[in-house]
Amino acid sequence: MSEKIYTWLLRLYPSRFREAYGEEALQLVRDRCRDEKGFLPRLRLWLDLLSDLALSVPREYFHVQPELTAHLRSDCGPSLLVLEDESLGRGALLCGGVLALAAAVSFSFLLNHGVKQVPLSALIRPARGAADHRSSSSAAQLRERGGDSQERGVRRTTGQPPATANSSPPDAVAPSNPEAPRTLDRPRPSVERSLEASHVPRTSRTDANLDRAERQRVVDRAVANLKRHYIDPHVAQKMADALVEHEKNGDDDAAADGQGFADLLTRQMRDVSHDRHLEVLFSEAPLPERPPAPPGFTARYRKALEEANCTFEPVRVLPHNIGYLKLNSFPDVSVCQHTAEAAMASLNHADAVIFDLRDNRGGSPGMVMLISAYLFDHPEYMYNPRENTTEESWTRSPVPGNRLADKSVFVLTSGRTFSGAEHFSYDLKMLKRATLVGETTGGATDVGTFHRLDDHFGIGIRETTAINPYSEPDWAGIGVQPDVTVKAADALEMAVRLAESKLQKK
Amino acid sequence: MPKRKLIPLPSAAFQILLALAGEDLHGYGIMRHVAEQTDGRMRLGPGTLYSSIQTLLEAKLIEQIEPREDAGPGTARRRYYRLTSAGRKLARSEAERLADLLRVARSRRILRGEYV
Repeated sequence: MSEKIYTWLLRLYPSRFREAYGEEALQLVRDRCRDEKGFLPRLRLWLDLLSDLALSVPREYFHVQPELTAHLRSDCGPSLLVLEDESLGRGALLCGGVLALAAAVSFSFLLNHGVKQVPLSALIRPARGAADHRSSSSAAQLRERGGDSQERGVRRTTGQPPATANSSPPDAVAPSNPEAPRTLDRPRPSVERSLEASHVPRTSRTDANLDRAERQRVVDRAVANLKRHYIDPHVAQKMADALVEHEKNGDDDAAADGQGFADLLTRQMRDVSHDRHLEVLFSEAPLPERPPAPPGFTARYRKALEEANCTFEPVRVLPHNIGYLKLNSFPDVSVCQHTAEAAMASLNHADAVIFDLRDNRGGSPGMVMLISAYLFDHPEYMYNPRENTTEESWTRSPVPGNRLADKSVFVLTSGRTFSGAEHFSYDLKMLKRATLVGETTGGATDVGTFHRLDDHFGIGIRETTAINPYSEPDWAGIGVQPDVTVKAADALEMAVRLAESKLQKK
Repeated sequence: MPKRKLIPLPSAAFQILLALAGEDLHGYGIMRHVAEQTDGRMRLGPGTLYSSIQTLLEAKLIEQIEPREDAGPGTARRRYYRLTSAGRKLARSEAERLADLLRVARSRRILRGEYV
């Protein structure tokens, strides 16, 4: 009994002592036990052992092996003091392993849940109001200069100059605010200032002073543009006749303000053509003669995009291995190809994918095609009413190494989902490749090419000939209906539930 | 962490040296000798005993010898220790130091008896 207890107590000594003298110490206890029998001698033995233990254990731990002290004495710089010279025991390894695992798990948990994600806008916005040396701040200022109605008017068109028609329009998207690149279409501050300086007739107008002469001018130019640009000359002629007819009949007199007049003309054209891609636009602030990008804009735009990680928010893996990617725009492929590829690569091992387009105001069709390519194992036609059908209308599927082609896809939409994001949503829905969850999308009518009519009016005319292969009309003006309608705020939760139940069925 | 020192010589170490002065002993033998020579006042526990032995070995004051051939069964695994000449010298100088102390004590009439 005593021997067993002492064997256990021996563990208190450093291993080097146990190795050298453990057996002998035990033998000594055995000898004393053998020789000292009876209650009192045994009591004395244990008092001896315990007091000895109390004194010698601490001393042993302070005792340094000679070779170590010799090493420490030498002047060879700092050295580590090894207290234990035996290899790590199983218990120590197990304990260390468990601790390391716990640290890794809690760290990843914190990354996923505990650490609040900083919205991209917060990264860019601080520049607002600061010195105008960043594109985002200049974009913000532009936005502030333009009146509400201008914003409304111009936002709804691609506004690209006719010269660049049908080239991929950079029709959306700034890192800070999805609308910012649309400032390409807007008067630059310098232009605006010079216009303001000249006062008449090119001042920022108020809605009241829409006179008959201007109405006449707008109608005439709209007619001219229709005849020149509209794809079907016969329908163009009918629309032109209708516009002139209404003007003559005085139907337009009811329109008191610019926006009302633009809406009226739009209705008149659509009544004849039933073409929702036609639109007359009004801008309170004067429209520039041509809307070229300000010098250096492209470079600043690229830089801001890169700084904002191309508006890609970090890929998250939700429970049940559901990949989640929030895309706040479809940024220019020439700048953001690698970012997009990296994001898709980190989604690659997900069992289902959720694309969150609830704050996506659109962007480059090239990016829509690039991301869609990952969702198919063969080239798939993606109908885009804004572009003629070309080789680029097919996805470059399959993407080498990609594993998402057969995974469930969910797209979250809201009333603020616009343009390129609607293109993405519409085609994936029509191809039955994705389940749309959320609200009906915004219904951007920016499928046409913008033509300037005068300082405050423009017309958007669709000039492409791509034929919609689906029975359902595209999103222009009406938006894309989700498959599962829930409030935008609840869309993620719903999509996760759907994805989970789908995964469980498998 | 300093290496354990033998200056001044700890009493346990000195007692071990004294115990080994007569004959080569194993650990338990040392312990019993020490108990005897101190009238049972110092009973070295295994921890103190073997850490002292270790220190003395490192200082080459004692050495470990092969088990005696005439050792009976049960003693085969025991290690025996022998006093080295350095150990004997140190034990003597320690004894002399104590003798000096004793003389001083007696000259101060703290202790009665003859000079040693």
